[in-house]
Amino acid sequence: MRTTTRAVSVALLATMTLAACSGGSDDDGAAGAGGGGGGEGGACEPAGEDVTLTYTSWIPGIEDVVAVWNEQNPDIQVEVQTGPNGNGGTYQNFFNQLEAGNPPDLGQIEFDALPNFRVQDGLENLGGCEDVLAAEDQFVDWTWTQVTLGEEGSVYAIPQDTGPMAMFYREDLFTQAGIEVPTTWEEYAAAAEQVRESGGYITNFSTGDINQFAGFVWQAGGSWFQNDGEAWTVELTNEDSTKVADYWQDLIDRDLVSSLPGWTTEWDNAYNTGQAWTWISAVWGANSIMTGAPDTAGAWRVAPMPQWEGEGETAGNWGGSTTAVFKGSENVYEAAKFALWLNTSEEALTLLNEAANLYPATTEGQQLAALEEGVESYARQEIYQVFTEAGATVPGDFTWGPTMTQVYNDVSDGFSGAVSGSGTLADALADAQESTVAALEAQAIPVAE
Amino acid sequence: MTTPAGSTAPAVGVTSAAPAAPRRSRRGRASTDASPGPRESAVSRAAAMLVMGVFTLYFLTPIWWLLVSSSKSRGDLTSTAPLWFSDVQLGENLAAVWSYQGGALPQWLLNSLVYAGGGALLATLLAGMCGYALAKYRFPGREVLFNVVLGGVLVPATALALPLFLIFSRFDGTNTFWSVFLPSIVSPFGVYLTRIFAAASVPEELLEAARLDGSGEVRTFFTVSVRLMFPALVTVFLFQFVAIWNNFFLPLIMLRDSDLFPVTLGLYNWNSVVNQLPELRLYVLVGALVSIVPLICVFLLLQRFWRNGLGTGAIK
Amino acid sequence: MSTIVETPLERGTRQRRTRVAHKGSIAVFVVPFGLLFAVFYLLPIGYAVWQSTRVVEREGTFGPPTEVFGGFRQYAAVLENEAFRESVGRVLTFGIVQVPIMLGLALTFALLLDSPLVKGKKFFRLAFFAPYAVPGVIAAIMWGFMYSPNLSPFRSVTQSVDLLSADLVLWSIANVVTWVYVGYNMLIIYSSLLAIPSEIYEAARLDGASQARIAWSIKIPLVMPAIILTAIFSIIGTLQLLAEPQVFASFTSAVTSDYTPNLLVYTTASVPNPSLAAAFSVVLALATFILSFTFLKVTQRKAFQ
Repeated sequence: MRTTTRAVSVALLATMTLAACSGGSDDDGAAGAGGGGGGEGGACEPAGEDVTLTYTSWIPGIEDVVAVWNEQNPDIQVEVQTGPNGNGGTYQNFFNQLEAGNPPDLGQIEFDALPNFRVQDGLENLGGCEDVLAAEDQFVDWTWTQVTLGEEGSVYAIPQDTGPMAMFYREDLFTQAGIEVPTTWEEYAAAAEQVRESGGYITNFSTGDINQFAGFVWQAGGSWFQNDGEAWTVELTNEDSTKVADYWQDLIDRDLVSSLPGWTTEWDNAYNTGQAWTWISAVWGANSIMTGAPDTAGAWRVAPMPQWEGEGETAGNWGGSTTAVFKGSENVYEAAKFALWLNTSEEALTLLNEAANLYPATTEGQQLAALEEGVESYARQEIYQVFTEAGATVPGDFTWGPTMTQVYNDVSDGFSGAVSGSGTLADALADAQESTVAALEAQAIPVAE
Repeated sequence: MTTPAGSTAPAVGVTSAAPAAPRRSRRGRASTDASPGPRESAVSRAAAMLVMGVFTLYFLTPIWWLLVSSSKSRGDLTSTAPLWFSDVQLGENLAAVWSYQGGALPQWLLNSLVYAGGGALLATLLAGMCGYALAKYRFPGREVLFNVVLGGVLVPATALALPLFLIFSRFDGTNTFWSVFLPSIVSPFGVYLTRIFAAASVPEELLEAARLDGSGEVRTFFTVSVRLMFPALVTVFLFQFVAIWNNFFLPLIMLRDSDLFPVTLGLYNWNSVVNQLPELRLYVLVGALVSIVPLICVFLLLQRFWRNGLGTGAIK
Repeated sequence: MSTIVETPLERGTRQRRTRVAHKGSIAVFVVPFGLLFAVFYLLPIGYAVWQSTRVVEREGTFGPPTEVFGGFRQYAAVLENEAFRESVGRVLTFGIVQVPIMLGLALTFALLLDSPLVKGKKFFRLAFFAPYAVPGVIAAIMWGFMYSPNLSPFRSVTQSVDLLSADLVLWSIANVVTWVYVGYNMLIIYSSLLAIPSEIYEAARLDGASQARIAWSIKIPLVMPAIILTAIFSIIGTLQLLAEPQVFASFTSAVTSDYTPNLLVYTTASVPNPSLAAAFSVVLALATFILSFTFLKVTQRKAFQ
């Protein structure tokens, strides 16, 4: 037994040591990477020898794309690691790995999560890599703003795919009922009444898809966060955000939209059986409809998102991700080179589009052969044209906050309450505003009042 | 602390009859079955069978539903009667799932089998030895050790997993087979169970006799005591096997390499990208069906052992 | 705990204080487990406790975070946290209702299996135990489908009562947990029934006592320790609910990200705010310990006097 007691005390001692070490290693990491204060990009020199990079992504079929790279680049081999989607566990893993000092060289990070990783000092600044800076022109404008996080001369990730938004609608049902396809939000609400009279719902308001709602706010010209370099401003309740919330609240109150939880079989079913007539969604939604509502193939068309102003031409964005290089990677140059190839070369973009329907973030990539053609299940409509045009009109100044997981959870919790009758969407945003400020303060992140 | 008087009798009974107790009691029970007393009327028999029948439906319907759903095409899944077959294509679905992503599912199943099988075996051995020592030897700190181990049962899994990750990181041990395997071979509950069973079923006289024969303590354990503790060991094995098979939280945090995933984590990953690739929903269902089949087999195979060992945890 | 496990044999020999015999062998038996237990249980617990005393400091919006000692500040935050209190209250409500129902069913089935009233015991035993083979995550996905108004095999029920609504979803989850664990608990109780030598109630049978009477007056008191054991494990399991609500969150918006304490820990850790998450875990573990210990003390007094 004495042995066991000793084992326990050894273990406890080890805890202390471990604690001390890990406290220290944080500092080392920061110091080694030049403090991470932003502005200047870090060094970006080739290693001059064969390297092996690790890359974590949850894109189905990513292995095949990387295999092509490995074939062509024997000196820069990339090992793929996978996990669940970002908020499903991979982000949490990235944070753990950053804390432990063993993140992969590269990782997939969605646009909305970049500030979170930046705040945790987890991203390598690629601003020092000439090739990266030179690539700016190839990307759709707003995507580049997103990866610089508003810092001059800095680049924290390479945009990968985007989710410009448009309106999917059931052409057959609208024609049958003699309802005009709405082009403004006002017309959309009016059409919603007519649709309801014919027994359907114009759409489903899913309380879990807060990034869809953010896309609406994005289109309306609002931004949920601001960052002036000194402090964050939280603006979940800004004018535009409130306008969007009130708009949907009205539709919910009048029972003009259903509120099934998104991405469930019930939700699929609502679309498959013609209960829901439109879906304001991103480009990747084209595939979701076809797989979720197979019986309706051929009946859908795509039109631009309804506008707030009659003459307006603005779209929101929902989703999209980047390839980032994690702090501590010893091969930033090679990692950046791979990330650029993955996200700009026609070869890779074509493969990514085939495997997982990724819609490229480069202007050239959006003209891939596969994206030029009419789409069979949309009666040969050239739907991607609509999205390409939409992508060019996404406002560039939407800023994500550093605790988006928490924001999504809190807003979603509040929205759930709102559709089941307790409070309103605007109340939910107000509550989330408060809890977000608290969450930032709990992390010692400066917040401007 | 005192042992309640009321329970002394069965305790003694178990202790003295221990090695053969399970088998004997089963036979004894069978004879009472054969001669039912006069008071069991047809009505109460019917009522009892009705209760059991209704609950059989309750317990088996969801599993039946899983089987039926796995046999359908994606379209039929949402549009046909949920509890009956239509256009059975279980074979095609299985083949599609089996080869999807370069045969990921068979790899995950194999991994789960190794984690759960190997892990449960080692866990049983370690817990058995520790529980045996706690029951059969007196040494200072014995009760403290036992209570600390029992306290281990109370710690939430979420609390352990994160620190474990950081500890493994210190030794570059994350994303390895061992990072999932090693923590799985610790079973505090196994120590508890084997201790009680060893106290009841390994007679002191037998150990004395072995000592007189010159057999070492460790050798006695492996040659004599293990055999007597077998039902408890099988039970610990079974529990640990199920626990490791079902665990996905630790692998979720530890593993990045899909070749190392257990089947639960693999299915969870598929389920998490259903938004992007809705056809995966059917694959998740078929995968779920495939993943519970091995467990049912283990249950069936070990049936005659575990049901005797299970109850020992609570018998004095 | 030790009261349950103490055997008469140990009691008899406790007085003898001799020097420790077979030291080497004891070490061989105990050390492998003890060492692994220390590394994979005690060390992480120690780490969590240490982590819970840290707070983050940083400068500027993107200043690198540094962790410093913050004493009990995280614990103060835990106590002030309304979501945590609510989630604990929720699982307690859940436990007070679900645990007795589940154990009541398990006991009933065990007694029926042990009585001569039921034929086909082997079949029922396996049928009732089979759900235990279904991993919690998968069980929750299956039941999620079965509750849904459109896809459920029991549409007539699910279309008139929304089992996934905010009012009912807690009990829908309770049903999933019950479904998985009744058979498991039933077997524990049933096995201890089997271990009772039948001579003990042979006399009662000869006196003409009914099965119900025998069950109530003889069998249940004898298997009380087994019931208490299953109750304690159920209480622990309830406080640690994670997988089921996590899956249900994708079926219904009524399950929020802070629905149960463990879910809140996970959400907090994803922020990432590991220190607060660690403090939640420590408080939760302490609460679990106090609750199961109190339960043990109370039931022991009741059951054995």
